[in-house]
Amino acid sequence: MKWLEKYKVQVPILEKESDYPNWAISMTTTLLNHTGTWRIFRPIYLNKIPPCNNECPTNEKIQSYMDLVKQDKLLEAYKLILEDNPFPSITGRVCYHPCETECNRKDYDESIGIHCVERFIGDWGLKKVPFAKPATKRKVSIAIIGSGPAGMASAYYLALNGFNVTIFEKKAKLGGMLRYGIPAYRLPKKVLDNEFKKLITLGVKFRTSSLVGKDITLDNLRKNFDFVIIGHGAHKNRPMVIPNEEASGVFSGLDFLSQINSGKRPKIGKKVAIIGGGNTAIDAARSCLRLGSIPTILYRRTRAEMPAVSDEIDAAEAEGIKIEFLVAPVKITVTKKGKLTGIELIKMKLGRPDASGRRRPVPVEKSNFTLKFDSIISAIGEQVDLSILSADITKTEWGVKADFIGRTNIQNIFAIGDCVTGPKTVVEAFGAGKRTALQIMGNADKIQHKVERPVQYSELNLDYFEHTQKVPPPQMPVAVRKKNFKEVHTGYSNVNAKNESERCFSCGVCNKCDNCFVVCPDLSVLKDTGEYEFDYDYCKGCGVCAHECPRYAITMIEESKAEVE
Amino acid sequence: MKKVITGNHAVSYGALLARSQVIAAYPITPQTQIVELLSEFCASGKLNAKFIKVESEHSAMTACIAASATGARTFTATSSHGLALMHEMLHWAAAARLPVVLANVNRAMGPGWSVWTDQNDSLSQRDLGWIQLYCESNQEVLDTTIQAFKIAEKVLLPVMVVLDAFVLSHTSEPVDIPEQTLVDKFLPPYDLKTKLDLSAAKSYGALTNPDHYFEIRYKIQKAHDEALHVIKDVDNDFYEHFGRKYGVVEAYRCEDAKVIVVTSGTISGTTRGVIDEMREQGRKVGMLKQKLLRPTPVDELRSILYKAQKIAVIDRNLSFGHSGIFAQEIKSTLYGLAGAPPIYDYVIGLGGRDVTPDDIREIIDNTFKAESPRDTIIWRGVRL
Amino acid sequence: MTEIRFHGRGGQGAVIASEILASALFAEGKAVQTFPEFGVERRGAPVQAFLRYDEKPILLRCKVYKPDHIIVLDPVLTKTVNITQGLKPGGWILLNSTQVPKNFRFEGFRMAIVDATSIAIKYRLGAKTAPIVNTAILGAFVKITNLTSLDHIIDGIKEYVPVKLEENIHATKEAYEMVRKI
Repeated sequence: MKWLEKYKVQVPILEKESDYPNWAISMTTTLLNHTGTWRIFRPIYLNKIPPCNNECPTNEKIQSYMDLVKQDKLLEAYKLILEDNPFPSITGRVCYHPCETECNRKDYDESIGIHCVERFIGDWGLKKVPFAKPATKRKVSIAIIGSGPAGMASAYYLALNGFNVTIFEKKAKLGGMLRYGIPAYRLPKKVLDNEFKKLITLGVKFRTSSLVGKDITLDNLRKNFDFVIIGHGAHKNRPMVIPNEEASGVFSGLDFLSQINSGKRPKIGKKVAIIGGGNTAIDAARSCLRLGSIPTILYRRTRAEMPAVSDEIDAAEAEGIKIEFLVAPVKITVTKKGKLTGIELIKMKLGRPDASGRRRPVPVEKSNFTLKFDSIISAIGEQVDLSILSADITKTEWGVKADFIGRTNIQNIFAIGDCVTGPKTVVEAFGAGKRTALQIMGNADKIQHKVERPVQYSELNLDYFEHTQKVPPPQMPVAVRKKNFKEVHTGYSNVNAKNESERCFSCGVCNKCDNCFVVCPDLSVLKDTGEYEFDYDYCKGCGVCAHECPRYAITMIEESKAEVE
Repeated sequence: MKKVITGNHAVSYGALLARSQVIAAYPITPQTQIVELLSEFCASGKLNAKFIKVESEHSAMTACIAASATGARTFTATSSHGLALMHEMLHWAAAARLPVVLANVNRAMGPGWSVWTDQNDSLSQRDLGWIQLYCESNQEVLDTTIQAFKIAEKVLLPVMVVLDAFVLSHTSEPVDIPEQTLVDKFLPPYDLKTKLDLSAAKSYGALTNPDHYFEIRYKIQKAHDEALHVIKDVDNDFYEHFGRKYGVVEAYRCEDAKVIVVTSGTISGTTRGVIDEMREQGRKVGMLKQKLLRPTPVDELRSILYKAQKIAVIDRNLSFGHSGIFAQEIKSTLYGLAGAPPIYDYVIGLGGRDVTPDDIREIIDNTFKAESPRDTIIWRGVRL
Repeated sequence: MTEIRFHGRGGQGAVIASEILASALFAEGKAVQTFPEFGVERRGAPVQAFLRYDEKPILLRCKVYKPDHIIVLDPVLTKTVNITQGLKPGGWILLNSTQVPKNFRFEGFRMAIVDATSIAIKYRLGAKTAPIVNTAILGAFVKITNLTSLDHIIDGIKEYVPVKLEENIHATKEAYEMVRKI
């Protein structure tokens, strides 16, 4: 028998009285007893998808870099993030972090401060790690329309893999919504510039102030490049369609933010109304505050329905910004000479849910009233400018029609980001950019799709965790920050990041905690090779390891279904 | 050196002179003085032993088993309920073939609560595989304790040295305490062959299936068979060193005796005096003192008792629902022997009721007079 | 064989007294056997101790029922305990007392008294309220019976008494001098 030879055990011969010991003392190793044959179920190490990773639009391997930070392996952590997201200093700041919303730890005490750790690693990497150089050049050329987050992500992975990438940007500076839409107090321009150095180092060519459709045509790009990626975003302001919308003193939210981000100081007066409940509205209001005005947000539904990120609404309220709920604009009031005086509003109530699942606001009859303002910022949404597209590209209600990978109806033309989805988030654009890049690179198999059932809270063995509080994200005091555009969040220290990463459950992913090794009653967990292995010669399949695994990284499978060795 | 000491202290001196290496015990009347003095010996450095304080007798025996398994010479003492509490581990010591020596002071079992002597505590542990030696005097207690270690270590069986509560344990009388150098010669250090050894880890006392258990039990019985010879050899050896011997049984004036009284423990002393007195009167009576209960000294018992016309067994114990335990022992030993004498079973002195020379005279007279033994117990001293 | 019975109270040292006397007699070459009344000792309760000695080995292993002599460590016991029970005619009664208690009948016995309590208190043996009189009374017993020598008693004290050795020896000697035959 193979296993007997392996351990050099011999079956003792007990025939004569003298063969016997005086009492029950083992005469050979218990390895004689091949208890693995008793097994009905067998444990296997099977990593699963944690909810953070599943929910992340770029599928960052969050639990893995948490584990690396815990071990002070910052370089490995940084490199691991870059595999999925080239710009963690950006997402670490502006991502609305659905990972934290889904984090299983939220049901235990508080979710992990993932974005704060990500930001720490991203900033550490920008400072300490040399920018990557491209792989051997390929003779494949890519044109990317738009230097916003979608285009940036695509450009990074394609250039890294040797593709010849040119980005066409209509504005004078790079970054699209990152530069012109997001205020500096959330994403300092210097951080953005530093992240762009990655693309510069990779040899990406930039054609700024080149508006496709005017300076260069899409057809032209299709002729001169092997692939075209459309990622020009959703920058067109959606009109309110109310009287006097064109009056002086009425700004569109994006234009207003764009002016500020270009270093201008629009004259908005003291009292400003911001119409809308999305992130643009919040950004505009907080920017107004920083310009010395008194902003009021007017929103037609309630706080619960606000599309803006909850943390941002909290921050705005903390800074003293007033939000009027359940009011809708009826008309802009102006003097006879056309000077803006304020806005007429109507009170709303919530009716039945609409297509978005949110309760539809319904006007309350004869509840009109007027408020006085010096200027009004309309931020009720952005639209995709479809004028640049050629007629043969299929469109949707929102924008360009493209699938999860960015494929349009025309081969070699891809579309990604807000121009496909309408206004969404930076991280979703990053994810779309990465997927398209993988597709073009021929690595479609590496595209991760969302699973229906990531690791559930109930599948964890919580006895192994102590309750701990989240390390609160450090930020500037309200009194200081509301006077300028300096970054509100100051970021985790190394110690903060380490403490926070230690809270990670590592749902469904083995982080070598040794628990199985310790609890196995049959000493059948081996780690001779550095990796855990089950010794199926002796594992009885009791399941203690799987039950006691704190993070559900071990699965019991029926022996009859296990692969025969 | 002769000294007037109690039976308890005679045990202590025995364990001291045997150079016990580990002592684990829990106090219980009337045993406490044994380990009290031993703990003083340990504290003063007179005895280089590890004294383990435990929370129960069960733990005391467990500690002794573990210590003995490492090859240490191990001793404990207890009594009555303490011995009963050890029961599980008494099995263990015997089945693990560990040469633990235990002194048990015979004390009646409660309830009713009693601190006085009878033999039911030790006899309840008869079938475990322990060697049991019953003592008559403090000198015998000390000598038997020393012998016990040698016997135990030769046959790898635990040995119980048994002495009566108060009648020996608290009674002072002259005891010749041997010289240490002489005891060392008699009882050199020993080496347990199968002791716990970290460098060669083994499983001890683990699951033993029906394929092997039976054989191991067979070997325990074989060890008892061997012990019969070893105990006699050790006694002879002891005699050569110290000039005293006791035998596995002692036939006292049994030659031509018509009635032989079978005794154990201190009743033997009182009986001895009565026998002397009756012999002077010309009555043909003798005494057999059974010192060794297990293993049963069958040949000795048969060869001595066979010659008598009647046998009176004095039992300071009782197997409820049957009879005195020594009487059962003698009956089964003589069973099948053609012409074996009838056996009269006298139960006396339970719970420390005093046994006087008058009681013994009465038993002997009654046995002489009786025609044939009754099936039932002959009670002596029951006030009912 | 001679048998002696000690009467005392728990804490007075009757048992130790019997052991000291036994060791002294043993030193005389006698066979000895001594034991307390079997049971649970309690301070202040009446206790007994027994002593046998003989020229030949003692085989007997039962209580003493017919003592040759009795030693009484507390005169009050004469009222509560039948101290002369079984005492052989002509036997000694040694009583720790300043005088013979009223109504105490000792016809047919020999009687001696010694004020061991005062002696014990004088040498600060035990507490004032519970003096330990055992060593003193032995001095008196040796004087009246002449069974052994005072020196052997003193050797016994050295062996069995853990504290106040000199004081105990003085007490023994003083009682030896002061005992009074009635």
